[in-house]
Amino acid sequence: MSAQIIDVKNLSRAFKGSGGSVLALDSISLTVKEGTTLAVVGESGSGKTTAARLILGLDKATGGSITVLGQEISQLSSNQIRPLRREIQVVQQDPFSQLNRRHTVKRIIEGPMLAFKVGDKSSREQRVIELLEAVGLQKEHLTRKPHELSGGQCQRVAIARALALDPKILILDEAVSALDVSVRAQVLNLLKKLQKVRGLTYLFITHDLGVAHYMADEIVVMFRGRIVERGTREEIFQTPRHHYTAGLLASVPVADFSITKKSSHEVVAQATPVKTDACAYRSRCAVGRDKKDCAEKTLTETMGSQTHGWICHFPINR
Amino acid sequence: MSNVIEVRNLTVTVPTSKGRSPVIENLSFSMKQGEKLGLVGESGSGKSLTAYSLMRLIKNPVQIDSGEIFINGVNVLQLSEEDFRKYRGSEIAMIYQDPMSALNPIMKVGDQIIESIQLHKKISHKDALKLAVESLESVGIPEPEERINSYPFEMSGGMLQRVVIAIALSGEPKILIADEATTALDVTTQERVLTLLNRLAEERNLSVLLITHDLGVAAQFTDRINVMYGGRLVERGPIKDVFTDPLHPYTRALLDSRCDYTVDVNQPIKSIAGQPPRPDNRPSGCVFAPRCEHAQERCADSAPELRTFSAREVACVRVEELALGKKL
Amino acid sequence: MVLAIVTICLFCPWIAPRDPYEIGASEPFLGPNKTNWFGTDDLGRDLLSRILYGGRITILVAIAATVIALIIGTAWGLAAGVRRGWLDEALMRTADATMAIPQILFGLVCISAVGASVISLPIVVGFLLSPTTARMARSAVVTELSSQYVVAAQASGFTRTRLIWSEVMPNIAPQLLVQLSINAAAAVMLEATLSFIGLGIQPPNASWGTLMLQGYAKIWNTYWFVAFPALAVTITILAFNAYGERIRKNLDSRKSTVNE
Repeated sequence: MSAQIIDVKNLSRAFKGSGGSVLALDSISLTVKEGTTLAVVGESGSGKTTAARLILGLDKATGGSITVLGQEISQLSSNQIRPLRREIQVVQQDPFSQLNRRHTVKRIIEGPMLAFKVGDKSSREQRVIELLEAVGLQKEHLTRKPHELSGGQCQRVAIARALALDPKILILDEAVSALDVSVRAQVLNLLKKLQKVRGLTYLFITHDLGVAHYMADEIVVMFRGRIVERGTREEIFQTPRHHYTAGLLASVPVADFSITKKSSHEVVAQATPVKTDACAYRSRCAVGRDKKDCAEKTLTETMGSQTHGWICHFPINR
Repeated sequence: MSNVIEVRNLTVTVPTSKGRSPVIENLSFSMKQGEKLGLVGESGSGKSLTAYSLMRLIKNPVQIDSGEIFINGVNVLQLSEEDFRKYRGSEIAMIYQDPMSALNPIMKVGDQIIESIQLHKKISHKDALKLAVESLESVGIPEPEERINSYPFEMSGGMLQRVVIAIALSGEPKILIADEATTALDVTTQERVLTLLNRLAEERNLSVLLITHDLGVAAQFTDRINVMYGGRLVERGPIKDVFTDPLHPYTRALLDSRCDYTVDVNQPIKSIAGQPPRPDNRPSGCVFAPRCEHAQERCADSAPELRTFSAREVACVRVEELALGKKL
Repeated sequence: MVLAIVTICLFCPWIAPRDPYEIGASEPFLGPNKTNWFGTDDLGRDLLSRILYGGRITILVAIAATVIALIIGTAWGLAAGVRRGWLDEALMRTADATMAIPQILFGLVCISAVGASVISLPIVVGFLLSPTTARMARSAVVTELSSQYVVAAQASGFTRTRLIWSEVMPNIAPQLLVQLSINAAAAVMLEATLSFIGLGIQPPNASWGTLMLQGYAKIWNTYWFVAFPALAVTITILAFNAYGERIRKNLDSRKSTVNE
């Protein structure tokens, strides 16, 4: 069994808001095995970005633990985490804003090497050129600045930068969401190739189910700070058990007319408050909105197989 | 039935290092009343600018160089700014991608709808308020009498977009342009907003021009589709036909590069090599030729015109051969 | 064109035709004539030379003040914007308080305390101008720190100091440059005002403000004594402001490249 590179247990992150504290993450647990891709699927407010920031060590958790490459990082200070940053890097959503608009491509990709004082000027330049080629760009791009590049090219630069220190883990936070359809295809192909060649582990955060399907070995579906369902790609897409997952799948518009889409059974949410441990999805769930259990009973995860789990009192049965 | 919109040979240019270059070139299309037309393309295809041209919101340095735009038979490009202003909101309205920035953050949502209503109708504040509540209800917002007093920051993206739709329809336009109107929304919200647009379109016999880069959205919502690339229209026809059997190499390639859950995970996605042309670097002849796997020498001669083939119009000199080739 | 004005203002002081300190070189209170293009002052000194030398002092003081304002203001604003929390509140409220006090009065009090000189004047004026710079620097830093490229730099392993210096500063620099220009104009104004009320540059040195003070009493008969220094001050301030505008316009146009 391959090593668990990322191991998150009962991770919580509360934010102090105007009306008390808000749980952006409510005790989530997940693992990512070496060399595989875990897709974290969720919509806005699901907490997926918060989870990414915590795993990257850019934020401190308020509960639970995060173990990355054997090291527990959830309570470490920024300085203590720093050495680990060589192993875990990020590619973010906006191709242009994630690159410093005043720097050249060369300086951008060199960034991590400069931060850790790796090598000298010529060896760094050599490495930058290697990385450029690995992501499908050319030497001539070295002196360009982000605004002179297209979205797809910028994203490639971001990937090259992320690979500069030869990390083991890449966190891709909506990394292809802002790209055109055809460019997205190019970048996804590139990411898959790089994973194969370098044995990378990916944590792929996305709201796009199609991308999750293509890239992931395993998937977790998040809703309002909780993981409502987890499983392998086949389990999630072929036999979803949570109603939110099914709703998501049914809502995705597909350009293939040979497929008849299932219609979504979601209802318009009423602004009803939710008892903390009970189901947060209840107000939108056609099945659960009228059920007493869903409003009051605490949810615990049910496992249908070694990989497939969900939190639901009345899961979909096949 | 006559066309509610007719665009003829529209060319829009921007200043570049090589003088003025087109970002929309010789675009012609039409829409009928009650029709849902999709305009699909990637960045740089000119689809958003088409919408702005229809609303005459093109500003310097971008200019409409030539062409005609007829709305209900009137060439609106020839009208004065003041005369055309009457069209905005009452004949043709537009909704955009980000509802948060489309709304005034310091004004109550109800007041913004009322403001829009009173722009087009001379009625009292009280009557306008009643209409505003009704319009919130018609776009599916629960508890509209309370929501009237909400501020934009108190509402979710999906609800805000509904408010934006309510405002857009307050002048009772015959045409609604939706420019990437669901792109910023969650997928579940997107479905609901599209369902709403569908219902409203049917109820009011509204013509909707849906601009999107999302092929799935186009497939779900539209009746007919225009595919744009590099400022030109390359294929158009009924959505089902175009998507099931794309005839233009670009349409074919675009559909092949989709990543939805029907795609084979063990194969690389068939992507299009290269990038779309920049305005100052447009190829002579067919604008897609440099990236087209079926391109021949003659493709660089001149830009192909739209020709009717198999109940559709395609701008490709090789369309017959390629279609035949597929059948073999 | 604006650049030309600024350059002339800067280089002019070194090309004075006559010794400004020579008393009695010509008849006093001469109007503009062939030998003295701007006329003479009450001691017969050539006014044109005095204005040129005065300009040198004014401009040097203004530049020194601006640089001081930049250093103090940027440090102030950065400290607040990077640290946030109570330090941010404390620093910014202090800035607000400083800005709430009328500048001239404040300057008056400070100069009276330390005495007017070519050293004290830039420091006081610089200090007076720093709160606006601080405000601007803070908001710029806060905006940049919430950008994705900063997150990327943090993830790349940059320490905070290095991050501010090599990633954020280049992005703030253009705005600081604009602020520099505006501050320069304000510095000229402040210096001239302070000198005019006698708390600035003292005789026999003279800045434009001092000249105006000296000529003010005789304004009806010998208008040129006041008019020329005043004109010089006005043109310089306009020039600096216009230059700042130009930089700002270039900034804006560069940021919004033609996107479809």
